[in-house]
Amino acid sequence: MQDSLTSEPTLNQRRRPSFEETELERRATKFNFGAPVTGSVTVGDSIAVGFGDGNVRIFREGVGYSTTKAHAGVVLCMATDGEDIFTGSDDGQFLRISSDNTVEEIASFGTKWVDCVAVIDGKYACSSGGKAHVWSKGQKKPSVLEHSSTVGGMAFDAKGKRLAVAHYGGVTIWEAKERRWKSSKLIWKGFHGDVCFSPDGKYVVTAMQENALHGWRLRDKGDLAMSGYPAKVKSFAWVGNTPYLVTSGANEAICWPFDGKDGPMGRAPVCVAPSKKQIATCVQALTTESAVFAGFRDGSVLLAEIDESKEPIVIKGSSGSAITGISLTSSLSHVLVGDEEGNVLWSTLWAGEMNAKSI
Amino acid sequence: MQTSQVPVTVLTGFLGAGKTTLLNRILTEKHGKKYAVVVNEFGEEGIDNDLVVDADEEVFEMNNGCICCTVRGDLIRILSGLMKRADQLDAIIVETTGLADPAPVAQTFFVDEDVADRTKLDAIVTVADAVHLDAQLGEHHEAEEQIAFADVVLLNKTDLIQNENLESVETRIRKINPYAKIIRTARCDAPLEEVVGLNAFSLDRVLEVEPDFLESDHDHEHDDDITSVSFVSETPLDFEKFQSWFGKVLQTRGQDILRSKGILDFDGLDERYVFQGVHMLMDGSPMGDWPKDKPKSSRVVFIGRDIENMGLKEGFEACKIA
Repeated sequence: MQDSLTSEPTLNQRRRPSFEETELERRATKFNFGAPVTGSVTVGDSIAVGFGDGNVRIFREGVGYSTTKAHAGVVLCMATDGEDIFTGSDDGQFLRISSDNTVEEIASFGTKWVDCVAVIDGKYACSSGGKAHVWSKGQKKPSVLEHSSTVGGMAFDAKGKRLAVAHYGGVTIWEAKERRWKSSKLIWKGFHGDVCFSPDGKYVVTAMQENALHGWRLRDKGDLAMSGYPAKVKSFAWVGNTPYLVTSGANEAICWPFDGKDGPMGRAPVCVAPSKKQIATCVQALTTESAVFAGFRDGSVLLAEIDESKEPIVIKGSSGSAITGISLTSSLSHVLVGDEEGNVLWSTLWAGEMNAKSI
Repeated sequence: MQTSQVPVTVLTGFLGAGKTTLLNRILTEKHGKKYAVVVNEFGEEGIDNDLVVDADEEVFEMNNGCICCTVRGDLIRILSGLMKRADQLDAIIVETTGLADPAPVAQTFFVDEDVADRTKLDAIVTVADAVHLDAQLGEHHEAEEQIAFADVVLLNKTDLIQNENLESVETRIRKINPYAKIIRTARCDAPLEEVVGLNAFSLDRVLEVEPDFLESDHDHEHDDDITSVSFVSETPLDFEKFQSWFGKVLQTRGQDILRSKGILDFDGLDERYVFQGVHMLMDGSPMGDWPKDKPKSSRVVFIGRDIENMGLKEGFEACKIA
C-alpha cells in the first residue's frame, strides 16, 4: 500500500512509457539547458549542439562541455568541416566557431534569417531567402547563387564539386567549373527541404513538404518517388556499404537500398527499429555496424541493425519529448542525444571495455 | 507530451488601411505579452525589434493532388523556426500584403501537420479603410475576399467619414460577410484583446457567433461578387446524406466557397455537430450537448462567389430526415 505520497506513481502509471529507462541512461550524464536542441554535429572527438536560445555547446570526451553564446536568436542550422562549426540563425548571422570557441562573423543578413548551411573541406555556404552564398578557399567574396524561391536545404557532394540546393519545384545542382558555378535543374512539383547526395554522388534525395522523399538519379534525371510516410521526413542518414538511406517520418526507421543500377526503384524498403505508436523524428548511422539509431517523438531511442529479423536495442527510454539530435564522436566512444525540451544525454556508448560491446 | 499551441492572428487589409499602425501598437504598447510579428511591407518603417520577422509571402501548391491546397511555404518555415525559441510566445501576428488572398494562409493551418501541432489559427482580422473601402470593393476582388474571410473587420479612419456613409459601408460589409465582428476605429485604436487571442477558429467559438443577418437584402446597387447564404432547419439532418452532399459541394465548388460554418443537429447524435471550412478544407466534430433552454436546430452559412446559384438550399433541404 502506498502512503499519502501517491500522486507521482499514479501519474507514472497513467503515462506509462513504452520503453523503460535503460542501463545507458543510468550511466549517462544528463542535462537540461532550458532551450530546445535544434541540431547536433560530430567534430572529431567532440559533439557540437545548437540550441533555441542561440547557444552552441561543445561536448568533449572526458572533458565535459563548454558553452558559446553564438547567436541572439535560434540556431536554425549547423554544419562542420571536421574542425570548425558553421551556424546560421534567425538573427541573420552566419558564424564560424573554431575549436577554441572563438566566434567569427562570416556574413550578416540583417532581418533575414539564415536558414541553411553546408560545409565541405575548402568550401562553406549558407542560404538566406532564395540566395545561396558560397565561399571557396582563398576567396574573400562569396559567389551568390540565386533561386526562384526560398532555399529549403543545401548539400555538397563528397568531393565538394557540386552543391545541391533544394527549393520550391525541385533542386538546382550547381557545379564549380573554373571559378564559376554552372547550374542544372531537377524538377519535381512541391516544396523540397533537406537535401543530400548519395555517398557515391550518383543520386540526390530531398525531404518534401509532403510526407514523402523525392530522389533523382543524376545520370538520366530519373525520378524516385518515395512516399507513404505517415509524417514528414525530418531526418535522414546514409548507412552501410549498400548503402541504405535511413529516414525518419514513420513509426520505424525506413531504410531505402541504393545499390545496383536502379537503387530503390520498384523495391520495398527495409523497416527496422519499430516503435508501437511513436513516429521517428531523428535518425543517425552507426557506421561500423551497418546499424542505425532511431529517435522518436516520445523521447525513446532504439539501435537496430538493418535487418528486419534482428531485435533492436533500447538505448533510451520514453522520456516524453521528441528527439531532435543524435550524434556520436568519431571514435564512437560517446553518444549524445538531445530533445526539443532542451534535455541532453551524454554517455559512453558501450558499457565497460569498448571491445565488449554490450550496451 | 502536449505542447500548448501558440495562437496566430492573420492580419489582412489594403495598403494604407492602417495595418502598420496596428502592428506598431502591438509591438510598442506595454501589454506584458510577447508577440512575434511576421511582416511583408514593413521595410520603410524601420522598426528595430527582434520579434519582427521578414517574410516573402511564397504561395506553394501542395503536391497532393488537391487543386485547392495552396499554402504559405514561407510561413511553414517561419512558424517552425519560431517554435524553436527558448521563450514561449503569447501570440504570432502574420501580416499579408494588401493584395494577398488570405486563403493560402488559412489553409496552411489545416494542411501542414507541424504547423497544426504547435500553432493554431486564431482569427483573420481585416483592417478596412472606411473612406475608401467602397471604391476598393468595386475595383479589387482581393478587397472583397479579405472582407469575406474576416472574423473581425477593423473599420478604420471612421473619423474621416460621415456617419451615414459609415452606415452604408457597414451594410456592404455585412452583405459580404454577416459573421464578421465589425469594430469601428479612428486610428486602429481598438483594445488589443479584441484583435489578438480571439480563438475564432476553434469549433466551440463557431457556436458563440450569431450571424448578424440583414433585415432586408434588396439593395442591389452594388453588384458584389461575394455574398453569403444561410439556412436553418428545425428538422434533424441525416448524417450520411449531409456528409455526401457537403463533401460533393466542397469538392466541386470549394474554390468558390471561401468560408463555411455550421452547427448541425444530426438524427441519432445527441451532441451538436460543429464544422467550419476554408475552401475545400473542413474541420468538424461533435461539440457537446445542446443548450437545454433552446430547441435544437441546424444552421449553416456559406460565404463565397456565385453562392446563390449553387443549389445549396435544395441540397441542404434534401439532407433532412424523411
